[in-house]
Amino acid sequence: MDYSKQIQDIAAKLFADGKIDVFVGYRMNGFDDNQIPVVITDPKEVSTLVFTEKSVFNLSNYLKADHTRNKRAGLVVKGCDSRSLNLLLTESQVKRDRLYIIGIACEGVVDDKGQKMQNCIECIVPDAVVYDEMLGNPQGRKDYIVNADIKALAEKGLVERREYFEEIFENCIRCNACRHSCPLCYCAKCCIDQETASLYNGSNTASSAFHALMTWSLHLAGRCVDCRNCEKACPSHLPLHLLHKQNEKVIFENFQNHLAGVEEGERGAFYKYSLKDPDDFIM
Amino acid sequence: MEEVKDKIVSIEKPELLAPPDWKPVIVGILCNWCSYAGSDLTGTSRTQYPPNIRIIRVPCSSRVDPWFIIKALQTTADGVLISGCHPGDCHYISGNYYARRRFLVTRELLKMVGFHEHRVQFSWVSAAEGAKFAQVVKKVTEDVVKLGPLHLYKKENFNK
Repeated sequence: MDYSKQIQDIAAKLFADGKIDVFVGYRMNGFDDNQIPVVITDPKEVSTLVFTEKSVFNLSNYLKADHTRNKRAGLVVKGCDSRSLNLLLTESQVKRDRLYIIGIACEGVVDDKGQKMQNCIECIVPDAVVYDEMLGNPQGRKDYIVNADIKALAEKGLVERREYFEEIFENCIRCNACRHSCPLCYCAKCCIDQETASLYNGSNTASSAFHALMTWSLHLAGRCVDCRNCEKACPSHLPLHLLHKQNEKVIFENFQNHLAGVEEGERGAFYKYSLKDPDDFIM
Repeated sequence: MEEVKDKIVSIEKPELLAPPDWKPVIVGILCNWCSYAGSDLTGTSRTQYPPNIRIIRVPCSSRVDPWFIIKALQTTADGVLISGCHPGDCHYISGNYYARRRFLVTRELLKMVGFHEHRVQFSWVSAAEGAKFAQVVKKVTEDVVKLGPLHLYKKENFNK
């Protein structure tokens, strides 16, 4: 999967036609074979753009930044990135007519060790769902698979699960990198930063991390697209996907197979309801 | 009876015993139009129910952000009760249908990270169901007494 040449050509053409002011893509980081996101404003830099199976980051995150927000932007999206972009469009955070989207029929990206990422193995929507131009051969929708970690956790006992998650919350240093790297966290003032919360919570206690991560994952429930930007950004390498995959599983199984951002114009699972939703747990 | 009381442990942390004078703290978040009026009826009709519940009034059950539940558990609560109008009776037509979805997801996530499912409970209580409200509070209090004190992820400043 190497679309570097095509993307360079398309970006150069867009700049030449005056259709875009900035282009959001990937370039080599300069010291090893990994890539970093780049926002290009100068047409001369187009030749630095690359796209291979090492292009792991979700670029729709960069549409929130000041240097792209009110400009006409071109960008590259894989399947999962396009789902989050779809939600940003539905939630009126970005304007469709300002974007030129290059969709990729993604075959899966790899981690630092060269192995296929777990979310790519379980990927349901590999093709971009919103695009102006498609690169690669579309593979169509795949079946939903319950995450293996969630299955394993469900079989454990209460005390065992508590010990496992206590360790995760203790190792969190509250740097908020997960929140900043999330394309769907765009609130100007986050509720978990409220003055009482930050004053009393201290910094890196398990209590504070419990409050922050649980609130964060529940505010993303029904919207998270499993791009794993949060996990890639986490300096403590916490398995943050567990919280999101659990929510995704409950929502998929109980709310008419809802998947975030797959249909155009469809909002998150908590923005709608059905009269048949389960309520046997309510007294 | 005294011996039994001494042996109350926290279900999530079995190594911790409850102090002998421990009484559970339950946070009740009630919808203004049904459950709050229902609890008012319980009071005016002089029905007895456990005094461990601290009631917070909200405009609608859909005002309950999952954040409220997490903050309650993180500060002083040993259990949380959330109550709203019966499906179809919402003052705002559909608020409790939206709330129902959130409650299910919140409950399942809390279960996964190691909270017993009886820590957070939900009920539909209408303004005419004063007796049901007393029953619900009684059941929640009994459940939480069985589970013991909640020692998970408590803020240090708020420790009892």
